[in-house]
Amino acid sequence: MRWTRWWRRRPLTCPEVARLLQRHLDQEVPEHLAVRVQAHLEDCRRCGLEAEAYQQIKQAVRRQGQPLPPEAVERLRAFAASLLEEGKDGAGGPR
Amino acid sequence: MTGTTEDRSRPSAPPTTLRRVAASPEEQGRTSIADDEAFRQFVVPEIETMLRVAGTLTRDTGEAEDLVQDALVRAYRGIAGFDGRYPRAWLLTIVRNTHINRGRRKRPEPAEDPDADLDRVARHTTESTVEASVVDIVIDDVVQECLRELPRDQLRIVELVDVAGLTYREAAEKIDVPIGTVMSRLHRARKRMRDHLVRAGIGPGRSRR
Repeated sequence: MRWTRWWRRRPLTCPEVARLLQRHLDQEVPEHLAVRVQAHLEDCRRCGLEAEAYQQIKQAVRRQGQPLPPEAVERLRAFAASLLEEGKDGAGGPR
Repeated sequence: MTGTTEDRSRPSAPPTTLRRVAASPEEQGRTSIADDEAFRQFVVPEIETMLRVAGTLTRDTGEAEDLVQDALVRAYRGIAGFDGRYPRAWLLTIVRNTHINRGRRKRPEPAEDPDADLDRVARHTTESTVEASVVDIVIDDVVQECLRELPRDQLRIVELVDVAGLTYREAAEKIDVPIGTVMSRLHRARKRMRDHLVRAGIGPGRSRR
């Protein structure tokens, strides 16, 4: 019984964290396990860097998934063109 | 007014190299054909990237557009002092600094020349800032390329979980597959992106032997 309790609270190993990492980043592991994964990530540089890389990937994917409003892009292109047009007189562009 | 003698003799020709000669202070603020060409070559193609980054900074579509407009004005005024290296990093630094200044402007402060820090942006961008911007850009580019190459079933899961923010269970129900399938497809997709990042020199693998 005592052994079982210890086993459930012991620090996680790198392979165990590797198996849980994706679920952890997606907040899909139970709280008690998330705490142990997080503790390992803070202690283990290699696993911490791995987690950071996946976190950056998640953020980049989220950025990619948000479509830019085409009309905003068009307006900005037109604005850039107007800067070039108004700059021709040497005024340095509109203010 | 950054063109060389050769540039002036062929004013309509775009810069042939990325590196441009910085203008002298007295020349700055004036526009030239070479500067306009540089603006077209370096700035205009990056408008979408600037808007994307502005969106992450402001978290508001309208504000993001205003921010990019301000950044474009600053880029236009600063293009003469830009040496042509890392244009995207330079522009994203302008977007970030403009965002900070817009935040300051909302607080009462003694009036100052709005272009006072333009030279600092153009010339004194720290290497670490540039590097951070470049790293962000590389990650975005690699991820974008990977997403294009992902098998449809993996891409669908990535969209549901990472973009739409669904839980594994919700994603599984949405496309009627077991949760285990959601996890394995998602993890394979991310592993692929991670491996691409490592190959691009970004990511934890670069320090491993």
